Amino acid sequence: MALAEICGMQDFDTYKKQEPFDNDVYNYTNNFANNLNLALPPCPNIAQNLSNFTTDDAGREIKIKFDHGTTTLGFQYQGGVVLAVDSRATGGDFIGSQTMKKIVEINDFLLGTLAGGAADCVYWDRVLAKQCRMYELRNRERISVAAASKLMANMVYNYKGMGLSMGMMIAGWDKRGPQLYYVDSEGTRTIGKAFSVGSGSIFAFGVLDSGYKWDLTDEEAYELGRRAIYHATHRDAYSGGIVRVYHMKSTGWIHIDNNDCMDLHYKYKQEAEDEENKV
Amino acid sequence: MSILTYNGSAMVAMKGDHCVSIATDKRLGIQAHTVSIDFPKVFEMGPHLYLGLPGLATDIQTVFEKLRFRKNLFELKENRQISPQMFSAMVSNMLYEKRFGPFFVEPIVAGLEPKTSEPYICNMDLIGCRNEPEDFVTGGSASSQLFGMCESLWEPNLGPDDLFETTSQALINAFDRDAISGWGATVYIIEKDKVTVRELKTRMD
Amino acid sequence: MAMVSSESTPYFPDYGTTAPRTHHFRPYAENGGSVVAIAGNDFVVIGADTRLSAGFSIYTREQTKLFPLSKTTVLGCSGCWCDTLTLTRILSARMQMYEQEHNKIMSTPAAAQMLSTMLYYKRFFPYYIANILVGLDTDGKGCVFSYDPIGHCEKSTYRAGGSAGALLQPLLDNQIGLKNMLNVKDDPISLERALAILKDVFISAAERDIFTGDSIDINIITKDGVKKDSFELRKD
Repeated sequence: MALAEICGMQDFDTYKKQEPFDNDVYNYTNNFANNLNLALPPCPNIAQNLSNFTTDDAGREIKIKFDHGTTTLGFQYQGGVVLAVDSRATGGDFIGSQTMKKIVEINDFLLGTLAGGAADCVYWDRVLAKQCRMYELRNRERISVAAASKLMANMVYNYKGMGLSMGMMIAGWDKRGPQLYYVDSEGTRTIGKAFSVGSGSIFAFGVLDSGYKWDLTDEEAYELGRRAIYHATHRDAYSGGIVRVYHMKSTGWIHIDNNDCMDLHYKYKQEAEDEENKV
Repeated sequence: MSILTYNGSAMVAMKGDHCVSIATDKRLGIQAHTVSIDFPKVFEMGPHLYLGLPGLATDIQTVFEKLRFRKNLFELKENRQISPQMFSAMVSNMLYEKRFGPFFVEPIVAGLEPKTSEPYICNMDLIGCRNEPEDFVTGGSASSQLFGMCESLWEPNLGPDDLFETTSQALINAFDRDAISGWGATVYIIEKDKVTVRELKTRMD
Repeated sequence: MAMVSSESTPYFPDYGTTAPRTHHFRPYAENGGSVVAIAGNDFVVIGADTRLSAGFSIYTREQTKLFPLSKTTVLGCSGCWCDTLTLTRILSARMQMYEQEHNKIMSTPAAAQMLSTMLYYKRFFPYYIANILVGLDTDGKGCVFSYDPIGHCEKSTYRAGGSAGALLQPLLDNQIGLKNMLNVKDDPISLERALAILKDVFISAAERDIFTGDSIDINIITKDGVKKDSFELRKD
């Protein structure tokens, strides 16, 4: 230590802490200890220097494309909440997956749907699931949907403007009955009766709004959700694959069914033809 | 986004044993929005001559009309049928006329030579650089997927039935991995004495 | 001494502007490479080409892109090689820490989740890597996990990634996923067939993708451990 002082290194301890290679296993995995803590970008505003990050050292474009694109919908009716989603993940125009799970089972009474950046949604849903479980353990009761959605909105609000892209619905059943919230990466959080989110949402809304009533039976509600998603997959290039339908009941969520869009298309087509022949 | 992927398309042509195939998807979209699922992109230019135009939809129609005009004029002047080779030279020339303001199409020509019935396929870039390979050509937004499929499925001297199966499998599986093409497919098998046109049942998402 | 400036450009205070100056720091490089993985009931095979390139030049023809993380887990990486080196270094350190803390080896699904979290940590300055992680799950069944650059993870039974990913994935859909095939039996795939398809698809990729070629490294993971194999591709 004496040598350091002779050399004029007054604050030897701080110098030691700044040693960058000392601890990089921890530094590169900071979010293991604190899930909310992500690495900061190398410059304050990536968007301004975007061209440096989308081309390689020779100036050629690099294909750094994240999975995205979706149609999801959810609505409340007399029997609870129905959620229906497609299952396509696209990176650019390439279909990365036709079997993605876009409904996340947060716990027995909470479901989240994902739209936008796949990694963003999955990561933050996982963090939310952990926080909801922590709440249950601390307070000996399940978290309300309002609280869960607010946790989510607050978490992503911290990263507003940094390029997160997510639009999710959080559906659940708590003391106040069935609940449906919409939360997105801009910080919006709102309660509602019916939502549709994603690139195919305008098509899904068309079907949903025309068939929606409060008094739907369970079967009618599932079919409405399925049909709305199917029509969206037909018209929207970035939606497709499988239509998954979930139902949030007072006893917790249940998974209704999965239907391949190709089977649905030819089934609906056959039904329309039969209808025409009858007349 | 490239202007060549604005409307989305997938197209492939293959050589067989005294036959050729050309197959296309049927989608017309405006980026993600599917506008039509019955949009013609392959055109009959003669009894054994087909022209495929993957690329920007507006240019598909313009280029087709211009080429039809030039081909008809040629046939009237010369009083004989145009051969696929001559026709592809004509396409190439026309595209190069617009070297500095090109049409955004990458044409594919498939056909049989009138006298010898030799199979002929050709594709070119948007300014008309011709490529006349011995096996297959691809085009459109799903062309890299098509390359992978064709490279493994194609083999020399396929008969018309096998050629149909190979072409169809290559096309369908390729555009099933491309978001902006698909929604039905048409396959043309061109033989000396007949041309078979088949519609394929595909995914509609 | 005042004449010597630390900057190479002369200092004219009157003519200085506040306009943004261009900086030429491009952190990413595209070093190419393809990875293909196929899982069966009691095995999983993963293959990666051994060409490491930058644009039109080749750095080396014999760089393996497969990283064994444990006796039953292998990671295949392609994309930016410097990111790959950092990621795999941290990953193997974390695997070791887990083993020493818990006195057991991390399972493949756990390693898959850890990789996803590690990739997402760099959400705002991503690792430019196409990752495919393979291994045997706790029941001894083969599994394949594929990732986008920021950690979206999906479990499947076959996957092609990297520079020839778009070429090869539809072929795997057809040959292994049996998509668009009528009247075929969905039998579980055998190791021989998986290896044959793996080699076939790489031959096709080497024909059309300039970033893939030279040879492939193959790892075959069964309950007995990792067996290594290789196969020559075209070298042009």
